[in-house]
Amino acid sequence: MMNLNTKTKPTWCPGCYNFQILAGVKNTIAKSGLKKDDFALVTGIGCHAKIFDYLNLNGINTLHGRVLPTCLGVKIGNPNLNVLGFSGDGDAYAEGMAHLIHAARFNSNINYFVHNNQVFALTIGQPTPTTEVGFKDKTTPLGVKTYPINPIRIMLASGASFVARVFADVKQIEYILEEALKHKGFSFIEVIQPCLIFHKETYAQKFYSLDKTGYDKTNFDQAWKKAQEFDYNSVDEKTTIPLGIFYQVEKPVLEEQYPQLADLKKKKIGWKDIKR
Amino acid sequence: MRISILFGGPAGTGPNILTNILGRTLVKQGYFVFYSRDYQSLIRGGHNFNVLTFSDKPIHSNESQVDILVALDKNTEEIHKHELKKKSFVLSGHDENMYYAGRLFKLLGLNFDLLEEEFKELGNRFKENMKEAKEGYDEEKDNLCALKYEKGDSVFMNGNQGLAEGAVKSGIDIYYAYPMTPATSLLGELAERQLEDNLLVLELENEIAVINAGIGSAITGAKTMIGTSGGGFDLMGEGLSLAGMAEIPLVIFLSQRPGPATGVATYTAQGDLNIARHSGHGEFNRVVLAPGDPKECQELTSQSFYLSQVFGIPSIIISDKHLGESFYTVTKKPKITPSRKLTSLTRYNSYEKDEEGSATEDAKIIVANIEARLKKKKEIDNDTKKFDRVKTHGKKNSKNVVVSWGSTKGAILDAIEDLDVEFLQVLYIEPFPQIKKDLEGKNIILVENSATGMLGEVIAEKTGIFIEDKNKILRYDGRPFLHDELKKEIEKRLKK
Repeated sequence: MMNLNTKTKPTWCPGCYNFQILAGVKNTIAKSGLKKDDFALVTGIGCHAKIFDYLNLNGINTLHGRVLPTCLGVKIGNPNLNVLGFSGDGDAYAEGMAHLIHAARFNSNINYFVHNNQVFALTIGQPTPTTEVGFKDKTTPLGVKTYPINPIRIMLASGASFVARVFADVKQIEYILEEALKHKGFSFIEVIQPCLIFHKETYAQKFYSLDKTGYDKTNFDQAWKKAQEFDYNSVDEKTTIPLGIFYQVEKPVLEEQYPQLADLKKKKIGWKDIKR
Repeated sequence: MRISILFGGPAGTGPNILTNILGRTLVKQGYFVFYSRDYQSLIRGGHNFNVLTFSDKPIHSNESQVDILVALDKNTEEIHKHELKKKSFVLSGHDENMYYAGRLFKLLGLNFDLLEEEFKELGNRFKENMKEAKEGYDEEKDNLCALKYEKGDSVFMNGNQGLAEGAVKSGIDIYYAYPMTPATSLLGELAERQLEDNLLVLELENEIAVINAGIGSAITGAKTMIGTSGGGFDLMGEGLSLAGMAEIPLVIFLSQRPGPATGVATYTAQGDLNIARHSGHGEFNRVVLAPGDPKECQELTSQSFYLSQVFGIPSIIISDKHLGESFYTVTKKPKITPSRKLTSLTRYNSYEKDEEGSATEDAKIIVANIEARLKKKKEIDNDTKKFDRVKTHGKKNSKNVVVSWGSTKGAILDAIEDLDVEFLQVLYIEPFPQIKKDLEGKNIILVENSATGMLGEVIAEKTGIFIEDKNKILRYDGRPFLHDELKKEIEKRLKK
């Protein structure tokens, strides 16, 4: 069995949903039949990024908001690597929003998880772009005045070829990472990951799986409608939150369109191995 | 002999192609050619001009007066009439630019066959070009000089072509950029060569993406370079700091133009020395290399790749619009420093990290990491002593010394030809060479394309020697120094 552990003792809060994500990722990598060195890990800054310290894969714990361009650079550096990117909602939707839209446009074969807890947790509780109207903390005593963005719709509008949402549960993470690894192109996966301290809403009993409804994930119009079912803002007894793959289609993959990169892929090497 | 020709006209009328044809022909005939470009930030119309100077002796700059004015419109004649000498030739009144090529070749005593060769190389519009040029050639009755025909093996190239050549010779794998004048032409040069030389060139959404993608590729072991101008370099600041912290080999091309902010987009300046030295938070290692001509562009690019790989550091090459886009006659082959790919994919971190590459807050590890980086700083200083970190030109051991860096080299070399002055050209801004002994007791004159004379600040910081304000020759109108004007300025400050 592959050892993916590090010596670092986790500093996530007891019971944090990030543990579920970590376990799911580890299980899938172990079961994938791939070697440790077949993966590269890129993380941002925030609670999510501590996954870098607990998951013994090569890669980089990079700057806040810059996970996606870094992933792209890694993938171009060696197109044979399975690149796993992890961000928080602050990382992905605030500091790094421009990169997110362009990552969908590039459609490089990158697997990207956004741990969305709808709050800046590590900086102790400020609102992010997906925080609901009225949320209050020390920095927003008058309450949040802005309506949250809908990342699923942004990804659909940006042309992403794989758009999914799951809950931070081991089984769901295992399932979606397997699917993402199979997908050729940019895989966007939002993980609803409640913060036990600063954003406690767990949306219990509101989730349902798209897979079980005979949903056609290649139908864009349907995906667009489904994406609006949950608006990240209002939660009441009628709220339902779809989980699973909203949309998945085949589109030209960036690194397959450049002969230089296709050649590296064919030879199973990276630029490092090119002798001049 | 030194002949200066100004080609002027609205953007889109082709003064560049005309200048290139004449420049290439003259270099092939064994002459020394220098040409600079003055163009506005617009696509069509306005007033653009090139000044081409040539000689039978090495030259590296232009002068303030012209022998031949090629005016592709009325406006050009009006704007440049004050630059004419008593016996200057003015070629004007015709719409087709190749007509002027014909007249010029005749005027300079160049055989028409040479022009035909150039048209063949151009390929398109061959018949039309020939017809237009023939008309001009036949019409021209004057003869300024009869140029000798000696085959030259010099190369005619601009600084950014030098950088591209140097990068390819250094084994570049990947180049990322976002378009910004005057760095953009390197993006074009490398993009055109990417299949032939097997490298990847990609334009990303902004400079922040550029430096972070650069870091991503560099950690896989790819030889990676990125390029931008001052504004884009500002955006890269945080990534630069990361490259310093995570010890990532990344070559960064910084091509200056006048700032602050958008400044004067298509003109030249040397105002970004301080950001090259200091951009990025925290204390980390970097090198800053400043070539002064296309040969040095090639050499310092190869040194930049070497140093970034050996020491795992960001390596900055600082140039500017004047060096990047002016064409020089390169007579000697550059000395390329080879480098191996020494980086492999392990665990990198933007935090201080432990032995596994995970984030740490342990005081002892933090201190050990910082001290390792400080030790490396000394190693970089020692190792770079094998390179020409400073060069001296002009009269050895003169009591007068001109100090400068980068693109001012050309005008200074031409200006000091028969003056009692030594020229100390600094090529390594970081690590800074030991030049205290070369300056002590001398009459020091600083030449820089900036308003504050930043090299003077660096010299004061590193040597304790302060250059008097009256000895600072500074130009900050976006234009390069012209050797004749500069000579007068230097002469005024010389001590007997």
